[in-house]
Amino acid sequence: MSLPDFGFYVLCATAVVLLAAQAVIHPTEFVQVFIFGLTQGSIYALVALGYTMVYGIIELINFAHGDVFTLGAYVGSGILGFFAISESGFTTVNLIALLLVFPAVMLIMGGINVAIERVAYRPLRNAPRLAPLITAIGMSFFLEGVMFLWRGPATVHFPDILPKTATTIAGVFFGFKDIFVVVVAAILVALLAVFINRTKLGKAMRATAQDRDAAQLMGIDINRTIAATFFIGALLAGAGGMIWGLYYNTVYYQLGFRSGLIAFTAAVFGGIGNIPGAAVGGLVIGLIAAFSDSYIGSKWTQVVVFGILIGVLVFRPTGLLGMRVPEK
Amino acid sequence: MVRARGLIVLTTAALVAFACGGTTGGGGSKGTIKIGSDLPVCTIGGQATANGVQFAVNQKNAAGGVEGYTIAYQSFDDCRQGAYNADAGVDNVRKMLDDKAFLGMIGPYNSAVAKAEIPIAAPQHFTMISPANTNPCLTKDIAGCSYHPQDLRAGNQNNYWRVVTTDDYQGPAMATYAYKTLGIKNVGILDDSTVFGVGIAGSFEAQFKSLGGTVAKHSEYKKEQTSDFKSILLGFKNAGALGVYVGGTDDQNICIPRKQMKDIGWAVPFMGGDGIETSDCIDQASGNEPNIYATSAGADATQVDGAKQAIADFRKAFTGPNDFGGYTMQAYDAANALMAAIGRAVKNANGMPSREQVRAEFAKTTGFKGVIGTYDFDQNGDTSLKIVSIYIVNGGLSDQAIKDSTGVCGSKTKNACFVWKTQFDFAKPA
Repeated sequence: MSLPDFGFYVLCATAVVLLAAQAVIHPTEFVQVFIFGLTQGSIYALVALGYTMVYGIIELINFAHGDVFTLGAYVGSGILGFFAISESGFTTVNLIALLLVFPAVMLIMGGINVAIERVAYRPLRNAPRLAPLITAIGMSFFLEGVMFLWRGPATVHFPDILPKTATTIAGVFFGFKDIFVVVVAAILVALLAVFINRTKLGKAMRATAQDRDAAQLMGIDINRTIAATFFIGALLAGAGGMIWGLYYNTVYYQLGFRSGLIAFTAAVFGGIGNIPGAAVGGLVIGLIAAFSDSYIGSKWTQVVVFGILIGVLVFRPTGLLGMRVPEK
Repeated sequence: MVRARGLIVLTTAALVAFACGGTTGGGGSKGTIKIGSDLPVCTIGGQATANGVQFAVNQKNAAGGVEGYTIAYQSFDDCRQGAYNADAGVDNVRKMLDDKAFLGMIGPYNSAVAKAEIPIAAPQHFTMISPANTNPCLTKDIAGCSYHPQDLRAGNQNNYWRVVTTDDYQGPAMATYAYKTLGIKNVGILDDSTVFGVGIAGSFEAQFKSLGGTVAKHSEYKKEQTSDFKSILLGFKNAGALGVYVGGTDDQNICIPRKQMKDIGWAVPFMGGDGIETSDCIDQASGNEPNIYATSAGADATQVDGAKQAIADFRKAFTGPNDFGGYTMQAYDAANALMAAIGRAVKNANGMPSREQVRAEFAKTTGFKGVIGTYDFDQNGDTSLKIVSIYIVNGGLSDQAIKDSTGVCGSKTKNACFVWKTQFDFAKPA
């Protein structure tokens, strides 16, 4: 075992022991906080996937991705306004609205992200690395500006249309919403994994990520493949935005900056370019944040998250599950 | 939309100012004296406050102006990116200072902005009257302040007054109310890590403890880092808290925890300062609005008999649902006090007074009869009216109750509004 590996395992073991101690001393609180972390982490995971997919294929950190996520929530809240939904109970209209709006928002965000790629990134594909990075930051501010002008600076209400059923089991309080978030996120991640590994387009993506030129020589339409990557990344971001809205019922136009940063961190944490890594990274960061809020103190949470990130990256520079970037 | 409306009003104010300037020549008036306001008019509260100034100026001009001079009022917006910004405020004060016709201003709304503006305005003897600043550090040299009032004024005579009392009364008022009236002996405290939030949470904590209460936990967060408060709230709950006190403002998402208290199945009162007595706070509470308690440093004008007529007149002139706010009448009194001082200065100077003359006259203000009460000012700039009001959010109000309601209502949940509950008068010995 190499020294860095040793350090990494010591770090993990310490964290596990400390958490296990809490789990034994206050089991209900531990499980409750675990649920908080799981729901938060599921949303981060969905957003992190978009970062990691785009990085994997064109090595661009798409700073606008967090804002695509937020815009998803804004668009969802806007469209839901056209339905005669009830916020006091779960009606048939709510169910129909949910079934229609959820996929619609995903598709709209997919379309927007493809347009962003076409306008801001594709023309710069062969430009120096920093150029698309700057346009990405520019797109991020642009999207924030659009949301600001559309709904103003204050927090925007997202209709509370999910069933409000909640229950306490053995002192642990959780509701339908908590289950909804985790289950929907898990289904989407599973679908993505199947798509990447089992379909022709997924194979084309993996090939493009590995070696763009060689993939092109083999007859893969690079532009189409990259556009598809942006499309799928934004489907997940749109879904993340919807889930966020349905769960928290409040969005604000600057949300994407912070969530994007956390999700990007999750992607690096899991190993940038690595799809299962991003999902795991998102969950782990959600859990760390919840445990830190609860056991250490909220003012330390950011310090703890990034401290652990530094620790992990020092011992394991490729992230938890290893980086998967083009081999050149 | 909020912002757009602010701009429209700003433009209107500018047009009115222009129109007034235009009529002075023909009307035989001696000239035009300008007063400005520096408020975050992109927010509902800021705009409602500016409306109070506008109303006072309109009334004064309709009654012939101040000693023959027409008052032109210009509303400056200190918002940037949708929230108050000290740099924007400083910019606005510089604009006023650059125009010799400006003899005083109403504002700012936020204490952090005042802290940045006083050092710019003091050397120019520019009179500032805040209708809403409640941070004690601006006028009082007390422990826990990160700056001192004398440093802000840098050896110049005091140029800053306020018509509301200070947070060192707001926190204690809620602490007393929670402990004695609501019977809550154990609370969790959450602040938003801003100067205002930390200050008010600290003064609440000190008073609550001195009454014999227990603080289960004191946590803080930053808007850009926390959007899920459930772990923090669970910490309060598990530590035995029977209420939550928040120090902060709605633009820092301070009321989102209220919504999340429901998500963890925790139904206890949620209390805070004037930073949560807003529409946005009710919206953020999304489905968990009732039993939010808020203090407001200053009287509720609608509960003061002397203000009833002025409010009725105001509502005739400003008919929008959000045109009247918790600081509208304070701004109205502030503007009238400023115009009274300008009037005395005009008389003494027998013509257009200097800024220093206006400042010196304002400093002499005693027994000024506003609609809320009679104001005296101490040498620090604080008012003798030390009234703190307490409001509670009631949900499911009838249309009539909403109409009569003195506090703001939600913009999404329109039937949940802040309703006046009681007031503490710290000027009277307890």
